[in-house]
Amino acid sequence: MASKPKPPQMALHKVIMVGSGGVGKSALTLQFMYDEFVEDYEPTKADSYRKKVVLDGEEVQIDILDTAGQEDYAAIRDNYFRSGEGFLCVFSITEQESFAATADFREQILRVKNDENIPFLLVGNKCDLFDKRQVTIETATAKAGEWNVPYVETSAKTRQNVDKVFFDLMCEIRDRKKEETAKPDGKKNKKTKKEGKRKKKCVIL
Amino acid sequence: MPKEPKVTGLSPNEGPPGTKVTIRGENLGTGATDLTGLTICGVNCLLTAEWVSPSKITCKTGLCKGKGEVIVTTRSGGLGTCTVTFRGYVMQTGPLEESAVWIDESTTTDKRGRSKSSSALFRKNEDPLGMSMEGKGKFPIDQLEEMFPEGSGDPSNEKFLSEWFLIENHHHTSFDDLKTGLSYLKRKSSQRSEGPLAFMKGNLTSIMDCQDALAAQQGQWMKATSAQDPMHQDLLKDESTSEGGSITEKLETLLNNANDKANAMYQDVLGRKDKADATRNALNVLQRFRFLFSLPGSIERNIQNGDYDIVINDYAKAKSLFADTEVQVFKRVYLEVEKQIETFRGQLTEKLMQLPSSLDEQSKLIRYLMDLGEPGDPAWDCLVNQQKWLLQLLFSCKEEHIKQAQTIPSVAGSEGDTPSSHTPLKYRPSVGTPGSVFTPGHSSVKRMPSFGSTQSPDQAGWKFKTPQRVQFVDDLTDVLLENFPDLWKLWEGYSTGSLLNEAAEKTDVANQEKESKFKKMVEEVMSVYSKLLRAAFLPETLSSLPKEQRAKYGVWPEGKYDNMAHWLPQFVRTIRSCNSTLSGMNLPDETTHDVRDVAQDTRVHCVTTLLQQATEDVKALNDRETWTVERDDRGGITALPLLFENIITELIQHLKEVVQSRAEESEIFRRADTRMKVSKLCEDMLSAFADTMDQLAFRTESQAEAIPTSQQSSSGHNELTSPSEHIPPMERRLVTVLSNCSHTREKVLPKLIDLLEKNGYPEVQKVQKGCQSCFSALDEKLFDAYLEQKADPLVGALEPGVYAGYFMWNDCLPPRGVRNYVKEALMNLIAVHAEVFSISPLLVERVLSRLLQALAEEMLRLMECVTGWSADGAIQARLELCALQDALALYKTPESSKSFHDALQMVPPVKSAADRKNLEELMNKFKSNMQLQLTCFRSDSLKRTLV
Repeated sequence: MASKPKPPQMALHKVIMVGSGGVGKSALTLQFMYDEFVEDYEPTKADSYRKKVVLDGEEVQIDILDTAGQEDYAAIRDNYFRSGEGFLCVFSITEQESFAATADFREQILRVKNDENIPFLLVGNKCDLFDKRQVTIETATAKAGEWNVPYVETSAKTRQNVDKVFFDLMCEIRDRKKEETAKPDGKKNKKTKKEGKRKKKCVIL
Repeated sequence: MPKEPKVTGLSPNEGPPGTKVTIRGENLGTGATDLTGLTICGVNCLLTAEWVSPSKITCKTGLCKGKGEVIVTTRSGGLGTCTVTFRGYVMQTGPLEESAVWIDESTTTDKRGRSKSSSALFRKNEDPLGMSMEGKGKFPIDQLEEMFPEGSGDPSNEKFLSEWFLIENHHHTSFDDLKTGLSYLKRKSSQRSEGPLAFMKGNLTSIMDCQDALAAQQGQWMKATSAQDPMHQDLLKDESTSEGGSITEKLETLLNNANDKANAMYQDVLGRKDKADATRNALNVLQRFRFLFSLPGSIERNIQNGDYDIVINDYAKAKSLFADTEVQVFKRVYLEVEKQIETFRGQLTEKLMQLPSSLDEQSKLIRYLMDLGEPGDPAWDCLVNQQKWLLQLLFSCKEEHIKQAQTIPSVAGSEGDTPSSHTPLKYRPSVGTPGSVFTPGHSSVKRMPSFGSTQSPDQAGWKFKTPQRVQFVDDLTDVLLENFPDLWKLWEGYSTGSLLNEAAEKTDVANQEKESKFKKMVEEVMSVYSKLLRAAFLPETLSSLPKEQRAKYGVWPEGKYDNMAHWLPQFVRTIRSCNSTLSGMNLPDETTHDVRDVAQDTRVHCVTTLLQQATEDVKALNDRETWTVERDDRGGITALPLLFENIITELIQHLKEVVQSRAEESEIFRRADTRMKVSKLCEDMLSAFADTMDQLAFRTESQAEAIPTSQQSSSGHNELTSPSEHIPPMERRLVTVLSNCSHTREKVLPKLIDLLEKNGYPEVQKVQKGCQSCFSALDEKLFDAYLEQKADPLVGALEPGVYAGYFMWNDCLPPRGVRNYVKEALMNLIAVHAEVFSISPLLVERVLSRLLQALAEEMLRLMECVTGWSADGAIQARLELCALQDALALYKTPESSKSFHDALQMVPPVKSAADRKNLEELMNKFKSNMQLQLTCFRSDSLKRTLV
């Protein structure tokens, strides 16, 4: 499934939105895709979006899989994750539990992808609701640093940093792909091994 | 391509048919009408599409399976493109999932994935390398078979060759991908080794299959062991020796433990599931058969509300569904329903048997009963019941009336007497009514206008009340006519099948049997009806019946029967109307036979009774003679003939209706004996008047004296004319009656005979003859009597007159004129003439001619006795004879002329001219002297009266 590009010239970057239910994955996606903010909440099952964007002067396609945050659908996540090239792990800064759940998502992704350097962004959404903030920037940044991933705060409502998170992730994916095609296989394997070691350490910690 | 629709987002991107999908993209149309097409996985979904904005459409997916594009077509942008895909799948509800609909679990319970249990390691269609096995690059199998004749590409096959597999499925795959695949495979296998739980999870169904297989095998082993099969024993031994004797046992215990644990783990869930299933089943059964379970209640409710149709429908439905059910619960409920229906049927039957009720009601009930599957034949039962009821009604009607009749016997007696004294009046009530239309009902009381139409029946009192019997007949007929048609209609409905739709299926044989039965029933009703009538009015016709049976039909108080005469026509009318109503119903002939007979008998009875009554009335007429002679053009009569005529005319008028046969009736005088009887009665009736007149004429003075007192005492309206001093002397009476008689004979009788004939009375000719002879005889008798009265003195006076003064024919003085005796005789005749003329000028000639005859005869006798004649004597005799003859020339008859002629022959002829002249002179002198007296004998006086 990975490499079946119809237009071979145009790169396709597959982004998967993960995170607990109701943190704003769909809102972010729709804001990015269609510049609209959906007020009413309707739990997502699995939504697909794909559009052309210009990334650093290069026309690419972004494919967004908006997944379900609810635990009901946890079982089918494995399959989704397998096809993802980059992940936006979203939590709501107004909800501590959603932040805590990011760790589980991270773990599941790493297990499925078996790649510690998989493009991954930790996204703290709903930053417009700062008065209800439960997760401090420091905590989130610390967690991101721990995972060696960037942390961005967004607001699907105000569109703050929405484009940024998607484009940052696409850049990372693109870079990863360049890296993989440019460098021989051995390196990747090494990295994988390294990451495996790191992971073990993390678990111990 | 700015205008081309482009789908860039789907929410969700997969789902079973009917999933609501939000489609997002660009240029999805400028409006709802711009959207001309929408397909998801090639399935048209335009019908459910809802255009929200140019970037958003919602719709529901159709029956699509597998991955496919979502293509939007718009008028403005044409066929669109799509960057995302939708995956449709069919969802199968599992045994532990909630579902809004009832799922037949027989298909799901066995499908716990066991069909896919061929391999514990690999699922079909799942690439072991984690890569898609795209059919596009499949390697031809026959080439592979050539290359690896011993191998197979199936990972589950024993002879699996990895080369085959790789070439078959991945000969296009890049090396890098293969490497990734390898790492994936390794990871997967490592997962398996590291986590037995995950392995178990992943291959649960396969393991369960294995376990089942082992259990089966173990069972076989055990059997073999117990059978002491030496070969198996050996095998067991070998195994135990080679494997250390414990592996199998260990395995067994392990498996058993696992089994127990698994059972323990799932016991709760399974138990709950079973319970849930049971509950669900029960609920479902309740729901599905709610109809049956709520049926007893609803039946009761509907019965109370009178919605019988609903009850019947429900019952029929329940019957068809559950009558043969094997399910105990249904059986029980159904039995309850049956019981209810049974009582309901009972109620309906009871209702049906409750009378009176309308035909509609009855047929409705019968239909209900038939619909409810009532055993037997409710319609027939109803018919029988109704017939019995009707009979009972008839009898009770009779009882009631007889009771009433007995409570006022004295009333009935006086009542009977009263009208008889009003003899002439008594027909009036009925005479007034023939024209009036008969209306069934209890209106008979009002039908008596002459008895005080201004009075209400109550005020009129018992005296003017309709006699009980008449009332009875009216009521009885009403009862019959009100109730019988219903019975008949019910039968008609029953026999033709229109009463019940199903009844049409009945065989003709059954119908015939029933028909004859019903005929008998109708006959019974009719015969009871007619016998009751007979008992009331014609008791003698029932005398042939045994006594106890007669009592059944009622014995009416005796005595007043004759006085019922004037009620008879009404009675006849009632019966006839009943009869005609019955015959209008197309009843079988033999059933109404009795009624027709009764009608016939009653008519005859009525006619005879009235005729008799009239005869009595006629006989009683002599009490009403006033002797006031009224002159009309031809002669004087008293009121009597008119009264007589009136009586008869009225009677005939009165009987007209009775005598005239209706279409459905037979001729009243059809039978010979009836004809004889009636004609005899007619004759009697007419002749009775002759008797009456006879009595009047020859009544002795004592009788004449006795009558006025009785007249005065019994009636008021004769007062003015009845006093005894008005009764004239015998001669006058004779003349009067004679005049009446001849008037009656000539005028009244032909009229009456004509009337009788016109009205179809039998043998009128005979009646006429009889009457004529009767009246002629009377006439003769009267005439003779009168003549006797008159002629005797007249004739007797002649002889002394002739020989008065010692007159001798042979020795006398020359005649000086007509002698006094002649004048005297003439004067007498004049007196008679006056007497007769004053009563009836018609009779004058008859009387006088007879008197003249007698006179002439006497004269002849006297002349014959003369021994010798003188000339003067001869002249004298001739003069006197001629004078007489001349004076009474008008009344001469051949006989009188002859007598005169003979007498004149006896007298010697007048020879001398002088004598002849003298004779002539004397004649002239006589004529001139007697001119005044003779004028009354002149023809002009008669002519005057004749003109």
